[in-house]
Amino acid sequence: MIGTWYKRALFAIVAPVTLFVCGCGRGGGEVNLPHGAAVLRIADADDVPTLDPAAGYDTESWTFEQAIFDTLVRYGDDNVELEPDLATTWESSSDARTFTFHLRRDARFSNGRAVTGDDFRYGIERVLDPATNSRGMEYYRGIVGSADFAARRAAHVRGIETPNPFTIVFHLDSPDPIFVHKLTMPFASAVPREVAQKWGDDFSHHVVGSGAFMLQQWLGGERLVLVRNPYYFQKGQPRLDAIVDSLGVTPELQWLRYEAGDLDAVIEIPPAEFPYVMKTPRLRALTQKKTTVTTRYLGMNCQMWPFTDARVRQAINYGIDRDKLVALLNGRGVAATGVLPPNLPGFDPSLKGYSYDPKRARELLEEAHLAAGFTFELWMRADPTMSMLGQSIQQDLALVGLHVEIKPVAWGPFLEAIRDPRTVQAFLSAWEADFPDPQNFLGVLLGRDQWRANNDTFYYNPQFQELIDPAAEQTDFKVRYQLYNRAEQIVVADAPWAFLYYPVVYVITQPWVHDYTLNPMRPTRFERIWVSKR
Amino acid sequence: MKARGFGKLEIIGGAMVLGLVVVAISAPLLAPHDPTRAVAATYGDPGAPSLVFPMGTDQLGRDVLSRIIYGARVSLTVGLAAMAVTIAIGVLIGLVSGFFGGAVDVALMRFTDVMLTLPALLLAMAFVAVLRPSLLSILLVIGLVSWTQVARVVRAETLSMSRRDFVLAAQALGAHPGRLIARHILPNVLPVVVVMAALGTSNTLLLDAALSFLGLGVPPPTPTWGRMIEEATIYFRTAPWLATFPGLAIFYAVLAFNLLGYGVLRARTQ
Repeated sequence: MIGTWYKRALFAIVAPVTLFVCGCGRGGGEVNLPHGAAVLRIADADDVPTLDPAAGYDTESWTFEQAIFDTLVRYGDDNVELEPDLATTWESSSDARTFTFHLRRDARFSNGRAVTGDDFRYGIERVLDPATNSRGMEYYRGIVGSADFAARRAAHVRGIETPNPFTIVFHLDSPDPIFVHKLTMPFASAVPREVAQKWGDDFSHHVVGSGAFMLQQWLGGERLVLVRNPYYFQKGQPRLDAIVDSLGVTPELQWLRYEAGDLDAVIEIPPAEFPYVMKTPRLRALTQKKTTVTTRYLGMNCQMWPFTDARVRQAINYGIDRDKLVALLNGRGVAATGVLPPNLPGFDPSLKGYSYDPKRARELLEEAHLAAGFTFELWMRADPTMSMLGQSIQQDLALVGLHVEIKPVAWGPFLEAIRDPRTVQAFLSAWEADFPDPQNFLGVLLGRDQWRANNDTFYYNPQFQELIDPAAEQTDFKVRYQLYNRAEQIVVADAPWAFLYYPVVYVITQPWVHDYTLNPMRPTRFERIWVSKR
Repeated sequence: MKARGFGKLEIIGGAMVLGLVVVAISAPLLAPHDPTRAVAATYGDPGAPSLVFPMGTDQLGRDVLSRIIYGARVSLTVGLAAMAVTIAIGVLIGLVSGFFGGAVDVALMRFTDVMLTLPALLLAMAFVAVLRPSLLSILLVIGLVSWTQVARVVRAETLSMSRRDFVLAAQALGAHPGRLIARHILPNVLPVVVVMAALGTSNTLLLDAALSFLGLGVPPPTPTWGRMIEEATIYFRTAPWLATFPGLAIFYAVLAFNLLGYGVLRARTQ
């Protein structure tokens, strides 16, 4: 996932539709919950982009999709170890090309119908169908016959077999040792065909899944209410009766409502309040820290002057004071050494990154015949935090003779611009892991085949490519990580990015909220959370 | 009739404006620190006012006092230069429209009416979005959206002037229209223009601050009062001084120009 603010882009597209659709439902006033119900009250700055598991690809959508839908496998509440969800057991062939899952027999959708392997096949086929226009398509293209299905030459994906209702088998074109991880994403949820086809594009507002919760009410831009699914297969779960998400509440307002006791959890403490929270023992005790599997970086377009010269890119790396950036965030970050964040499997602790060394930066600029400095535009999302980071970088680079012009842009146009090879010289961005493997960073963000997709620095080095291509299919994880580590060393030396920091997030909950756990890579799950008397 | 002289308002207003001009010109001498560099390690946690930093330091560790002093330069430059652009456009259109009358007058005044219906801030935002924000583009844009009032007033004055005997006499002597406008009408319209300029400067200052606040003003690292307030909004509860001091600075500048303008206006109408 690119950054955590994907939601804003989607929001721009989804909001008008949502408003239109929900227009008639407005005035539906109060939340309809029984007295004394155990409710978790949270809030979000924006509307929820979507609840359709084929469409959502952002933190906010996934938060609720994983509550409403089930996948075959999932991660633990507070880790990224694979756990059974609707599949009780699974096995993979030794060549990592065939994966077999055995489903539990007692799972039901919230409309009471039993879940079978066909529902998982349908979920993935929906994602692969070009008409759905799903961003998850790329993860399942490796399944045998997916191209024929997408081109409508076949009614089903040949490589997904359901020999009996409770077994599902996937055949891949080439080895993919991390394929099971790709099935933890909500894209691969069990979707009831009859409901999805009935509602078509409006399925998002009438979702039916087999997860712990089901949708009760969604007033666009105002409120989302989930209630417990009576058919949920896990006995004694969920422990909440309902989740009420207030929409369109800015972080600052969320904080005020938290202090008034009107919100049970605030997912991101606003920057201005953070130092106060940390200085107040009572509040500090209620916080939880999450080191996200994310890297924030300053991308430099390797095809545009003057960043065509690796020495210039290295100079930028030496010229930025990372410790100051982390200080600006009140310590909510770890200075970055390379592409891979520390809690990603395959992270290389021995990797030496760039230190803050303005003298070395000036030397490199001299070697590149740019001792007189130059001016470049730094694009970023228009946002107070980004602006603060941008100004700090501007200050730092001014000391080595570079003039940075800050260009704040709305999220949608920003994404479009950085994908164009000749528009953006440099930009601030971030990448959050979708699954715990170096491929999700090195392959997705720096591979040659990702030009005009996710490789927004237009980086290409044949030596690097020769390492990551075999690494993607390598099933021996020791060898796999070695290949990726060597590839990362090349990237760090080539410096298409200025590696900035790995963000840390602090979440605060009320004293009456229990078992609220943070997952380093996925939104918090609601099944085990419970609330005591306030 | 009371003897015409300087009223209290003009003197106070004039002194305040003069003070602002002195601060802007001698900013490098007055400012205790570099306004664009971090001088205290108050990163992410703004520092409260103290003896060393009388107005505190912001979330990037910069001295607020120095930023306000340097901000006066931008505000004053934009305010005055934008007013000059406003006057130039307004006077030109007003003179031409009032002097030539007929179809020219109708065309120009209907255009002015159309411009008047558009909210200045909205129009300015649209212009800035198209142009790149810079000192020059900001003052041009503000001038481009604020000339309408000047044009209408100048047209009315020109209309009445062009029927006066001294103008008719000059015309009868065969004076060229350009000479008539430049030598006979313009000098007589100027006093009105001066009042409008003095009164209007506070509007251009506010428009500049508003654009800065919306992130469309003179880009960083140049300190501007509007941007300082914008960046301080999220700290309003924890570090209120960050927004208060630039707010007071804007208040001071607007008050100064308004007092001066009203003073001049009153002196003229008495």
